[in-house]
Amino acid sequence: MTSPQIRHRVDPRAERAARTILTGQRPRLLRQPVATATVNERRRDPRAIRDAALVQRQPRPRYDWARDAASAGTTAAVGVAVANAPVIPLQVIAEPAYLVLAMLDRPGGEVSEHDRQVIAAARLLADAGGGAVVTVATGSGEALAEAGSDRHVALPDGWADDYVPERRAAAAAALMASLSPRHILFPDSPDGGDLARRVAAAAGERLFAGVQSLGPDRATRQSAGGSLETGHRPTRLMTVAADAFAPLDGVRHEARPLDLATPVVAGEEVLPRLGCARRLAVDPDALSLSETDFILSAGNGVTDWQSFAELGEALGATRAGSRVVCDAGHLPRERQVGASGTVVSARCYLAFGIAGAPQHLQGITGVKHVIAINTDLHAEMIKRADLSIVADAQEIMPALIRLIRERRHD
Amino acid sequence: MTDAAMGNVAVLLSIGRHPVSGRSRRAATDAQALEMALALRPRRLTAIHAGPAADAEALRAYLGMGLERLTLLVLPEGADPVEALITHLRHLAPSLVLTGRQAEDGESSGMLPYLIARGLDAAIVPDVVRIGPADTPDATYGKADLVQALPRGQRRALTVTGRLIATVHPSAPPARASAFGPARRGVIEPVAAQAAADLFLSDCEHRPWRPKPKLMRVKRGGSALDRLKAATESKSGKGQLLINPTAEAGALAIYDNLVEQGILP
Amino acid sequence: MIATALTTVVLAVLAIGAALAAWQSRRWLAGRPATVGVVTGLRALPGRYLVDVHHVVGRTPFNARFHALVAGGFLAALVLLVAMGVAIGGSRILWLLLALVLAIMLAGALMVRHRRRVLRPRELSQGRFARLPLSLLGFSGCLLLVALDQSLGGVMPEALALVLIAVAGAAMADLVWGVWKGPLKHAVHGALHLAFHPRPARFHDGKGRDTGLKPLTFAPAEDARTAEPGSLGVERPVDFAWNRLLGFDACVQCGRCETACPAYAAGLPLNPKKLVQDLVAAMDSQASDAAYAGNPHPGRGVGKAHGGAALPLIGHDAMIHPDTLWSCTTCRACVQECPMMIEHVDAVVDLRRFQTLELGAIPGKAAVMLEELRATDNPGGRALARRWDWAADLSLPRLPAGGSCDTLLWVGDGAFDLRVQRSLRALVLLLRRAGMDFAVLGEEELDCGDVARRLGDEATFQSLATRNIATLNARRFTRIVTADPHALHTLRNEYPAFGGSWTVVHHTALLLELITTGALTVTKPVGRSVTFHDPCYLGRYNGEIEAPRALLDAIGVERREMLRSGLRSSCCGGGGGAPLTDVSGERRIPDVRMEHVRETGAAMVAVACPNCALMLEGVVGPRPEVAEIAELVLAATETAR
Repeated sequence: MTSPQIRHRVDPRAERAARTILTGQRPRLLRQPVATATVNERRRDPRAIRDAALVQRQPRPRYDWARDAASAGTTAAVGVAVANAPVIPLQVIAEPAYLVLAMLDRPGGEVSEHDRQVIAAARLLADAGGGAVVTVATGSGEALAEAGSDRHVALPDGWADDYVPERRAAAAAALMASLSPRHILFPDSPDGGDLARRVAAAAGERLFAGVQSLGPDRATRQSAGGSLETGHRPTRLMTVAADAFAPLDGVRHEARPLDLATPVVAGEEVLPRLGCARRLAVDPDALSLSETDFILSAGNGVTDWQSFAELGEALGATRAGSRVVCDAGHLPRERQVGASGTVVSARCYLAFGIAGAPQHLQGITGVKHVIAINTDLHAEMIKRADLSIVADAQEIMPALIRLIRERRHD
Repeated sequence: MTDAAMGNVAVLLSIGRHPVSGRSRRAATDAQALEMALALRPRRLTAIHAGPAADAEALRAYLGMGLERLTLLVLPEGADPVEALITHLRHLAPSLVLTGRQAEDGESSGMLPYLIARGLDAAIVPDVVRIGPADTPDATYGKADLVQALPRGQRRALTVTGRLIATVHPSAPPARASAFGPARRGVIEPVAAQAAADLFLSDCEHRPWRPKPKLMRVKRGGSALDRLKAATESKSGKGQLLINPTAEAGALAIYDNLVEQGILP
Repeated sequence: MIATALTTVVLAVLAIGAALAAWQSRRWLAGRPATVGVVTGLRALPGRYLVDVHHVVGRTPFNARFHALVAGGFLAALVLLVAMGVAIGGSRILWLLLALVLAIMLAGALMVRHRRRVLRPRELSQGRFARLPLSLLGFSGCLLLVALDQSLGGVMPEALALVLIAVAGAAMADLVWGVWKGPLKHAVHGALHLAFHPRPARFHDGKGRDTGLKPLTFAPAEDARTAEPGSLGVERPVDFAWNRLLGFDACVQCGRCETACPAYAAGLPLNPKKLVQDLVAAMDSQASDAAYAGNPHPGRGVGKAHGGAALPLIGHDAMIHPDTLWSCTTCRACVQECPMMIEHVDAVVDLRRFQTLELGAIPGKAAVMLEELRATDNPGGRALARRWDWAADLSLPRLPAGGSCDTLLWVGDGAFDLRVQRSLRALVLLLRRAGMDFAVLGEEELDCGDVARRLGDEATFQSLATRNIATLNARRFTRIVTADPHALHTLRNEYPAFGGSWTVVHHTALLLELITTGALTVTKPVGRSVTFHDPCYLGRYNGEIEAPRALLDAIGVERREMLRSGLRSSCCGGGGGAPLTDVSGERRIPDVRMEHVRETGAAMVAVACPNCALMLEGVVGPRPEVAEIAELVLAATETAR
């Protein structure tokens, strides 16, 4: 028996693929059906799809079913192209049961990773009982929608670059009074932590600082110099430790500007005791090795000290050296990296001509990224490095200086 | 700030705790605060600790830095020291109060300096690395120039008016060594103080801290293979290796790598 | 007439000399009191002089000879001259005898002149010392003429004889009044110093060796508040015990310490001779080092230092610069070489004690290290359990309180270092291979306190020592074995003062014993050329120089000796906290020592101390291999499986 209706072919795989959100820690399926492309245009060619998805043949085949047509290099596979732009449904909390404030740092106008983590923590508290997350920061809330912000309070743009913590604290206190949020979360960063403590002191409330784990009934933090875990039910004021919560992914919230009865600039009336704040130019070579982020280090293989100094300047890196270099007086003793010098934990360590004595490697165990230039392929430093270049430091250094200067002029 | 204004300095000292051995010691940033205070050569320098009398011996490490005496506000175990400190400081009326940024033992919430600033109606500046009288030409009475440490070695200069509470950053000048002789001779003056028990802290439950697995930064986007690689590849010894490239190629590889790491713009 | 004139002149000069010496004595008598066996000391004096002093002086035979000739001749001449004065009018035989001893003295004086004018060793001081040959020659030559003339019956015109006597008298005055500040001071003060020496046990009439530092007694805490500052260690010259000040005053500026000092050789600002002379000069009230005429502390001139008996010794403008004080590696090479038996290292540690305990003025990373040491009982601030990370797979037996074993292995702080762990592993494997019954303390083992003590932190040392002793006394074992000579010295020689006495052996001695008893068999003789670098704390501090060499011979190495080896070995630069205080010089001490190694042409240098291993391995560039002796023994006793 035939039906007069045109019967669409159902491609369960394509439908499923369209509903799959692949970003985030693990694939998630959207619950509501997604408008899939008409799938009946062409017949599937399983072999072609398979070929297009193949990204690696050896040692065993690996397939990437999420690849788009462009990167696949071959004809677009039906159903796969659609999955690449999953539409994340907007989550609207129209009538929040309560508010959770997230006071963000937003240093230099950018939403920092720590800010996202604070919003994620705030979501944990808000989602537990139908609450809404209100972000408070300079700038508009658009960028915060995908981080999980329901409402946004924009602080005056002029506040972004100023350091007037008293004004911010007054604004936070004003918001606390007008919105009566259930919780206020701050990043436990230098500025955010400072603000939180000012607000807590002014409000006479207990601050639960540096939250490490959070649930609707219990928050924990480190105390006694990191040796104890202290638990309590979530207090009103909390700061969120860095890297304790994963920022949200694959969500979209409104980040709707919040209508306020009173403008937050009420804080402008506070007469600040702190003034004339200005950034100081920092000479990277004046920084202590334990504080700096980027170290340019020289070992016995460096003979061209002129280039080394120029390179340090061009890179804006703090110069350091191995024991031998400091012994020889090319660098002062406090610039020595290693077990007998300073144990460093910079983000990047660029090592020229360092063989990698055990004592030196002990000194850089905390470094995240190591780049090594050495003439000896079998040097320990080459094994330790994330990028190793077997070459003479005296040739690479001038080339790198030239390259940096060229790029800077572009 | 004129000499007269800088002449009365108080330092709040807590008992530290070595992160590995857990043994009592001088707290690192408190010792740096005392160092900063000693370097200012104030006319009057008062060092204060509030806590149980039983812990007093650990305070001798501060005396060994060259203090002759140290005031101990004797509190019962588990009491909140803030009120006692505020009462005592009101009486002393210092123009500058220095202390470490966070205690190494106890709640270590970093709130104490803020509560004291509130109690004394003083300005508070955290993470100070340098402090001195304002050198601006219009320097008036009661102004101080400070330098504050920011992340990644950045520095910010500030001018503060009026009474000031400053917490000291680990990048401040290192504390001088504590010497045995002065530590033994120094005098700890116990002063009885009133304090209420800290109810919040007794309401909390405590247990030993166990390190948590570090939060992985999941790289978003990219192909499945990239994500698989990012999640499974171990970092050490799996670096990229260039053997005898030309100087230009080597430099370019370093440059690109630095850009990728976000070190260079 | 001639005889009377002669004796009168001699007696007058001697009397004035004695008065001067007595007047000088008030300088060193101003020091702190010390308990000294006066009678026993004076009785032991000739023996100490003839045995111990001559043992040192005899290392350079030429010097020993001219000393014997000059001093013997001079003393005999004085005796004869005084005798002539008593037996008024000399007989011819007396004159002939006098001529004979003066001829002997003249020969010695000519040797002195040859040394000072022709050989001119660079370590000798000039100044007042430059006149010494002239005075000796003047005295002996002039009187020889007079004595010969008198023995022949007096043919010389009387006026000429009197002129000769006057010249000789002037020369003798220069010699004898040298007890004031000149060369002959060492004769008087040296003799007194030998009698009242602060370490009588170091002489042959004692134990023959006394190297452990003397404990500082701390007053109980109640008294600490009333005690005067300055009671801990030495701040001013008068804070030294009087017999130590006397010891410094005995210095003859021969410069043997200077040639032996590893810091001086590397151009660090320390010259032990100048250090002692600084202390000598500082005993005066308005002191300056301007009169010093020897080599200065390298890199620092002479004439800028000022001080006084009651003024601080250490300071940037004081008599001794802090860098000089902290350059010392406490290797005792200077003490070993000093013919006047001066204890330089004791002085350095006493001065450091004040700097550390009273002022907290500790340079470089030493202050950080001491703070970590106080808080964690190990210099790196690590958890004590991590000392055993390297032995995780060896399942070392732990000795609990109340337990017993034959041999207790003390691993020391080297166990935290990756390099030293390799040699400790070798040692453990050897003990296993030999079937030894041994155990370790585990987390109960604390730092032995060696470095803290050399850095002057006696308080931390005593705290560590008393706790370690309590730990060790709660266990039963026949002996302690350690691969660290610093721990060996501290446990063996310095813990007894705090109530801990055990048999402590170095691993080289134990391994030699295991090979001689057959517990270990040499299967693969090393066969390479190896030179042995003596650790200061094993050799000079404990006199153990034979066992490591016998051990090396037993494993079949071709042993070569450095020019400076055994008790006269040169330091690697790793002792006394020197790597922590990190005073910079022209070169590094280990580089200098590696030069000595290279001179032998040996392919390998064997070390027997974790510090030496680290310091010598830190020498960069092509160099002989550095191997810990246990590693060599392990390779040589490998058994086929």
